[in-house]
Amino acid sequence: MSNEFAQFQDAFFEEAAEHLAVVEAGLLELEQHPEDLDLLNKVFRSAHSIKGTAGMFGFHAIGEFTHKMETLLDLLRNRRKAVSPSIADLLLEATDCLKMVIQSTKSGAAIDDKTVQRLAGELTSSSASDSRASAVNVSRENAEPGSGENCGGDQTFVIKWTPPDWLFQRGLDPLQTFKELKSLGVLTGVALDMSRLPDLGCIDPETCYLSWTMQLTTRKDQKVIESVFEFVREDSALLIQPIEGAGERSQNLVTETDSSAEPEAPKLLGQILVEGGWVSPDELDRALREQERVGEILVKQKVVTHQQVEQALQKQRQQESFAQAKRTDATSIRVDTAKIDKLINLVGELVITQSMLTDLGSRFEMRQLPVLLERMVDLQRNAREIQERVMSIRMLPIGTAFARFPRFVRDLSAKTGKKIQLILSGGETELDKTVIESIGDPLIHLVRNSADHGLELPEERLDNDKQEVGTIRLNSFHESGTICITVEDDGRGLDRDKIVAKANKQGLISDSDKLTDDQIWPLIFKPGFSTAEKITDVSGRGVGMDVVKRNIESLGGTVSVKTTKGKGTTFILRLPLTLAIIDGMTVRVGKETYIVPLLSILESIQPKVELIKTVVGKGQLVNVRSIYIPIVRLYEVFASEPQYTDPTDAILLILEAEGERVALMVDEIVGQQQVVIKSMEQNFRKVKGIAGATILGDGRIGFIVDVRGLLEIARHGHPVAA
Amino acid sequence: MDKETKDLNPQQTGLSTDGSQFLTFSLGEELYGVDILRVQEIKGYAAVTKIPNTPPHIKGVLNLRGTIVPIVELRTKFGMPTIDYTAFTVIIVVMVQAKVTGLVVDAVSDVLDIEKKDIQSAPDFGNKVDVTFLNGIGKSGDKLVSLLDIDRLLLDSVTKEFSKDLPVAAAA
Repeated sequence: MSNEFAQFQDAFFEEAAEHLAVVEAGLLELEQHPEDLDLLNKVFRSAHSIKGTAGMFGFHAIGEFTHKMETLLDLLRNRRKAVSPSIADLLLEATDCLKMVIQSTKSGAAIDDKTVQRLAGELTSSSASDSRASAVNVSRENAEPGSGENCGGDQTFVIKWTPPDWLFQRGLDPLQTFKELKSLGVLTGVALDMSRLPDLGCIDPETCYLSWTMQLTTRKDQKVIESVFEFVREDSALLIQPIEGAGERSQNLVTETDSSAEPEAPKLLGQILVEGGWVSPDELDRALREQERVGEILVKQKVVTHQQVEQALQKQRQQESFAQAKRTDATSIRVDTAKIDKLINLVGELVITQSMLTDLGSRFEMRQLPVLLERMVDLQRNAREIQERVMSIRMLPIGTAFARFPRFVRDLSAKTGKKIQLILSGGETELDKTVIESIGDPLIHLVRNSADHGLELPEERLDNDKQEVGTIRLNSFHESGTICITVEDDGRGLDRDKIVAKANKQGLISDSDKLTDDQIWPLIFKPGFSTAEKITDVSGRGVGMDVVKRNIESLGGTVSVKTTKGKGTTFILRLPLTLAIIDGMTVRVGKETYIVPLLSILESIQPKVELIKTVVGKGQLVNVRSIYIPIVRLYEVFASEPQYTDPTDAILLILEAEGERVALMVDEIVGQQQVVIKSMEQNFRKVKGIAGATILGDGRIGFIVDVRGLLEIARHGHPVAA
Repeated sequence: MDKETKDLNPQQTGLSTDGSQFLTFSLGEELYGVDILRVQEIKGYAAVTKIPNTPPHIKGVLNLRGTIVPIVELRTKFGMPTIDYTAFTVIIVVMVQAKVTGLVVDAVSDVLDIEKKDIQSAPDFGNKVDVTFLNGIGKSGDKLVSLLDIDRLLLDSVTKEFSKDLPVAAAA
């Protein structure tokens, strides 16, 4: 494939991902409404688009696989086959596989051929099991000639090409085609046929009268050659024929079904058995399912423990998701044109205001002061609006993060044997792209948790006078400048006694009677805390909730939980609208100004002498309503010159991070303001204790305090102290 | 790190390997040169904000039209005594592998054309003087210019984790 296409490839992958999402969502809905033809058409169209564009870019693996899906979908569409659960399963699995193939193609990784071939075989056999279908199938195959992977060595093809008359009208250059052919191998014997060329007077300069015959010796297979003609294929008379003993693979000779497309790849045993009619696909499926995974076999042989396998699997998944995250980092963002238009308008206004100000400034007299002030107000309004609009460009509807849940819940439902209904709402709520990308995993954890721990089995639900089908509701909405996302289930609710017992056992609490419910529930966010009686592969390893809490907190958000026994549990995530701006408390230490994130500040006090206690000579504690909190002096941590060294003169900010409290000692609180976070890493490196920098009103730089880092420095000592 | 620097060098410097224009500046009596293609701008000295817990040669950070730029004091970096800043004290803003850094120098002088044949490799003083930050010594007329390898100079002091950097800073 030539480099001219490379720039479009990213667009292809992006588009393919969108189409895949449509296919998946469509298939899921199709399960509920098997008769919905519109839905089927939608799925079919998306699959077709993937196939079409994949072919154009020369991703034949994707094209071929999608083609098989399409064949099956076509049968469903033409009512030659009914949508059955097994077909839906197969198609969903095929969608996953396609996703994997596309991902591998994108990253250049090896494709898991086994899965691809198994599914391809299943798709084919599923399509072929209907006799009426085969006619359609074969005729479709004819349209796409067999490829003949010819990796073995050079092969010579005779290519006879009569381009369409409109070739020049569409601005296509045959020379380009030849250049590309030449890049594939050795192009010889190019003969031009000018027989159709009319008399000079009759020539229409925009019509192509020429045709060519040539020989191409190449290692590439026929499909690759054909792909060169992709753009001019329509209305072309094109004949590509291999010579030298490979004649039987001529273009119009495709008699076998699709499996001939990969003659080099040996068929799987199951596939052959199915095709030979010895076993049915269902039987094969069952047999395959009995095969055990490597991990399970190892566990049985007592080589490793179940936990070790789980850990390894988790590691693998983490690595996968990490690798994926890395890859997706550089992706583009799609912005509503209306948003951009608005922005352009605003910038226009800004330019006008600026020129008015320049004009005014060049011949300013004191009596024009009111006009100046008015213009300044305009400017201010302009700047604020532009800021808002620019921020909104990064905003995406949270629905994109919700989209994967219908499928996820469906699979969970199958795995746990519970009947689950998922209700999504508030998907249009807009949220910063980075935040959306980062809340996916925590949400998955929460939904999984609700399905596994929260909801009961159907029998239990019926016993408790509940509907057999449990409900998980995902909702999102704006609330006082933050985004709220709730994960709600109508299951059994949290069990106070169990949590208390577990917490006692782990030594997290001592006197349980005094604790209120609101103090008990947050315990589930402690690391290693799980009350699930058995560890399932769905959840229960106790790594879920603390990860959720940590992830959300790293985004500057909070998690809380509400629950009623027997009625259900609701998890509430609160997230900032954007990561680029935070609410901060500006504080002063000596001459330096720092910003402390408002979220981590509980309160600020000026302590009295009798509240300060000293331990082991120098560690100081402050008594805040009979809780002793260690004092951390900011000037010590950041090695700067303070105004006050006595806590009673200074101000103590009570901060909370990772469940720990500290009293941060500063000289003075300047005020509260929103600050734009500027990266320190962009031109420098990460500095411990500093989350970033911002530009203050007077143009100087103020550092944003990283409370966690600060705690670490305070605890483990100063990096420079040595 | 060395390897990385070498790999990136030809790409980033473009013509500079054959090219021969250097921006020269003075530190005390000595004349130094940096590849002119690396220089983004020269600006007058402005007050910087000190970064806590960084080695002494990291003067602080500066707001350069909205981006945060670290400022390195070359005198301290080279272990020279500090002097009071004058009207000639400037910050040379350079690009090192997509990172922008400012260098505080006593004064800028000329842009000099130095041909390749007039550049000799850095002299070896053994352990006494550290010349790893020099690409070579250039001659232009009767002037002697120490040509800085700013990749090595800055990657060493700006990007590296502080803990590893500490002994160097302490020695300086």
